[in-house]
Amino acid sequence: MNQTLLFLIPLLPLACAVANMLFGMRLPRLFAETLAVCGVAASFLLTVLFWSYADGDGTRAVLGTWLAAGEATIPFALQFDALSAPMTLMVTGVATLIHLYAVGYMHEEEDYARFFGLLNLFVFAMLAIVLADNLLVLFLGWEGVGLCSYGLIGFWYQKTGNARAGTKAFLVTRVGDVFLAAALLWLFALTGTLSIGAINAQAAGFAPAVLTGLTVLLLLGACGKSAQLPLMTWLADAMAGPTPVSALIHAATMVTAGVYLLCRLFPLVSLSPAGMAAIAVVGAVTALYAATCALAQREIKRVLAYSTMSQVGYMFLAVGAGSVAGAMAHLLTHAFFKAALFMAAGCIIHLAGDENDILRMGGLARRGPRQLFLVFLAGALCLAGAPLTGGFFSKDAILLAAYTQGTPLFLLLWGAGLLTALLTALYTFRLVYLVFAGEPRGYSHLHDLPQLMRWPLWPLALLGLLGGLLNLPALVGGGEWLRHRLGALAGREIAATHGTEWALAGLATGLVLLGWGAARWRYARFRGEWDNPGSRFLLHGWGADAAVDLLVVRPFTAIAGLCALGIDRALVDATLDGLARQTTACGERLRRLTSGHVSTYLAGFIWGFLIILGWFLLALVR
Amino acid sequence: MTAATTLPQFPWLSLLIGLPLAGALLCLLHRRSRQECRWLALATTLATLAICIGLFVACRHGDGPWLLREDAAWIPRFGIRYTLGLDGLSLLLTLLTAGLHVVAVLLAWPEQRRLPQFLALLLVLESGLMGVFLAVDLVLFYLFWEVMLLPMLFLIGIWGGENRRRAAVRFFLYTLAGSLAMLVAMIALYLLHGAQSGSYSFALADLLQTRLPLTQEYLLFGGFMLAFAIKAPLVPFHTWQPDALSEAPANGAVDVTGLLLKTGIYGMIRFAFPLFPNATRDALPLLAALALVGLFHAAWSAYRQDDVKRILAYSSISHLGLVLLGLAAWNTTAWQGSVLLMVTHGIVTGALFAVVAMLRSRTGTRNLNELGGLWGAAPQLSACFLFFALASLGLPGLANFAGEILVLLGTFRSQPLWALLALPGLVFTAAYLLRLVQGTLWGPAPAARAAIPDLTVREWLVLLPLIVLTVWLGLAPAPLLAPLAAVGGLP
Repeated sequence: MNQTLLFLIPLLPLACAVANMLFGMRLPRLFAETLAVCGVAASFLLTVLFWSYADGDGTRAVLGTWLAAGEATIPFALQFDALSAPMTLMVTGVATLIHLYAVGYMHEEEDYARFFGLLNLFVFAMLAIVLADNLLVLFLGWEGVGLCSYGLIGFWYQKTGNARAGTKAFLVTRVGDVFLAAALLWLFALTGTLSIGAINAQAAGFAPAVLTGLTVLLLLGACGKSAQLPLMTWLADAMAGPTPVSALIHAATMVTAGVYLLCRLFPLVSLSPAGMAAIAVVGAVTALYAATCALAQREIKRVLAYSTMSQVGYMFLAVGAGSVAGAMAHLLTHAFFKAALFMAAGCIIHLAGDENDILRMGGLARRGPRQLFLVFLAGALCLAGAPLTGGFFSKDAILLAAYTQGTPLFLLLWGAGLLTALLTALYTFRLVYLVFAGEPRGYSHLHDLPQLMRWPLWPLALLGLLGGLLNLPALVGGGEWLRHRLGALAGREIAATHGTEWALAGLATGLVLLGWGAARWRYARFRGEWDNPGSRFLLHGWGADAAVDLLVVRPFTAIAGLCALGIDRALVDATLDGLARQTTACGERLRRLTSGHVSTYLAGFIWGFLIILGWFLLALVR
Repeated sequence: MTAATTLPQFPWLSLLIGLPLAGALLCLLHRRSRQECRWLALATTLATLAICIGLFVACRHGDGPWLLREDAAWIPRFGIRYTLGLDGLSLLLTLLTAGLHVVAVLLAWPEQRRLPQFLALLLVLESGLMGVFLAVDLVLFYLFWEVMLLPMLFLIGIWGGENRRRAAVRFFLYTLAGSLAMLVAMIALYLLHGAQSGSYSFALADLLQTRLPLTQEYLLFGGFMLAFAIKAPLVPFHTWQPDALSEAPANGAVDVTGLLLKTGIYGMIRFAFPLFPNATRDALPLLAALALVGLFHAAWSAYRQDDVKRILAYSSISHLGLVLLGLAAWNTTAWQGSVLLMVTHGIVTGALFAVVAMLRSRTGTRNLNELGGLWGAAPQLSACFLFFALASLGLPGLANFAGEILVLLGTFRSQPLWALLALPGLVFTAAYLLRLVQGTLWGPAPAARAAIPDLTVREWLVLLPLIVLTVWLGLAPAPLLAPLAAVGGLP
């Protein structure tokens, strides 16, 4: 088979997106929906079909030249290898299920062609990131997912707030893109190419300072898309979008693009100890920060958004600790159970009649459909890291990687990771209790759930529960499939005695139980929620939005005002008007000069003579 | 294979200049029938475009610096010749000019007031622009430079918006001041060259041989650059431009106004830089500084405008900052990126102005505070607006990105700091363009607004080719860049 056929994987969703955007509204609704689902499903099947192409060093395919000028020649090329293939499978698989769910979720939406067009376009852009062979193609996908995120967060644009949330997401992530672009330019200047393989191969020849600089730039770029500190403010507001969007873009795929970028360039990144430490610090601090915020949120989707931020923080910690296999394992399991959680949350909101506030829910375990409770519980157990679930194994591996680094810094980060694990269990079970336990507090009757919103949750919940099998540690008789599959790309070998591993696993289990116990004690029976300065501080994400507004938005607007009104109007225009007036006045004075007064002529003669004399003197001196 | 073997012998370049002029005359002669004038103008611009495309296809692989050249004695006493030359650079810019004029004529279709005169002026403008991009004798160039000025002045002054007088006068004074400085520098150069070589000539090829002391070179360079900087426009010579662009008649003239800006950059590349290489070399950091200041100053200013056309006008200045930065970086990648960006910016911004004209004719306002919620009313129009706004903010895969990234890649290789300083422009551009999109497309629709019709067939005819071009140049700009490799006198 021709390897160029690999391009079908990203291009099929693109073709369906274009078709839906151009003709979707003229087609029967069913046709447009089928087109959208089939485009993504076909990509999934193709990925399965081409799976063997990823063996060994993988397969590189070139479609043609994109840019060629001077010394820059950049092709459209993709790389299907051990790292990109599982990611592609996850993206297309999860996306197919979410598309199916979306058909049910959006069945009353009038503007369906725009929705499905953007959703398909997103899958294309995400696949461009995953499969890119060079950084410019990656950048194309990178900006593409940002655009789709913008369009889908603000999908219900009639409410100004939704569109503003989209704009905010685009701008904040674009700040990250600036750093990624800087890294890209620098790498091109250093190597004369943007091919990821070539860059990784040449990275060993760079100076240490250069490596650290590049790693920090890449990290900041990754922070934007992955909502890590300090570029995290957009993710919670992004929940304004339809729930399938939150599940696909803001939980399973786009927010993990930053992690994927760092894994893709791991051979370069790992050469800089300072850079690796920075990655780990950003990850651990974000994980802790977001977990504290999640404790106090009142909207179900915002709890999940902060938990996403926190879990992606774990993935950064894994990369920083040198374990690509750990990061990727958590990325994959998280994608499954978080997508399931979000879609279940969408069902809950729908059942309760568009009610977002968990304080006004309750009682859904007995009143709601049984299977919804089970799915949500499965997702929550994975998120909390309950023993034997996918989340347990993948999170444990990350903490183990941090612990085995052994340096004081990493021990500290490991401690932060443990604390985060406790908080995660706490906020997860708080959510479960508030939504499902007790009696209904807000809604009166339950709405109907379309079939398509029910069954796509099951495969994801099961995958989340069984996700541990992906990279089951040798400790419990597993073969660490993902690590072996990644081969040379898997990062550092994690060496620890079985005793240590058992101890850490036991510690993690204890923390989960502690968190569950605390949540049960506080929320099993609803007694109202705390409302004090502390909880408000956490509710508003530590005041990050206010800080950004004060430190960035206002100065920017003020300078803009200065440029538009101060400089252009007051300075440049006024100077010109002044010049014009001066010219008129000069004319006036010139007219007066020819007044016939001899004294005026004489004065002019003398002044002129003096000036010429001065000029001569100057010329002589020189 | 040279150009001459594939192309029949014919003064093609003179035809490019003469055809629109003839069309203009015919329009004035037929001013009784508006319909005839429209078709006449359309036929003229289409024919001109066809010739340009033909020249591109036939000549782009030619070797030597000039793909085509015409030369005839004109005023031998002063060494003035009628010399036209076509190289890769002028090939692209004539293509752009011809293409945008077709768009302009289509946009002018519904114009009510004095349509024949309007069309005639458009065509004269096209003729002048063609001349500017083709002339390689300095006097001839200056002639076309001034010819270009007059139709624009009348288009703004007669058909413009509410503040048209002020805008026209300002436009005229600014450009005239620049032109005079250039004229003086030109004559000085002519005299110095004559004194040096013994033969007085205005031909670019001859003047390139002049060797000047550095001080003189600086002065003359300054004279040329003043004219070009005002036209480009470079901050701080830019304030005429938002006025001119926002007051220029929406039906067609405004996207052509964008072309005037390209003449400034073109003049630098064709005349100022090659004629004064030493001064250029020394001035590059200053140029880069001005480019960066312009990039950010204009972006910031755009962020605070409420008039959609003024936002786009400032956005033009901001984009040209990046074009200029690519020139100042002085290497092939950046330079080709600059030229590409100049062309794609012409297409994208021209398209945006066209969409705004369509918007204005439906809503009667260009004020962001009075717009909003357009997507629900006219999704096709809105989609086009969004598409071109995204192209303008540099979305990869669309036209502007290709040029921008080449400029940045090239600039970073020779001047990393300049490129790094320019990078935040990514966010700035997004900030004002998304504000523009937010204000027009999203949010609730104003309560008082009547129903809005969506795009008509004529409007689709205008926009569709531009959409195709935007995607095409974004994905495969290489064929367009190939003829640039042979352009002489640059890195």
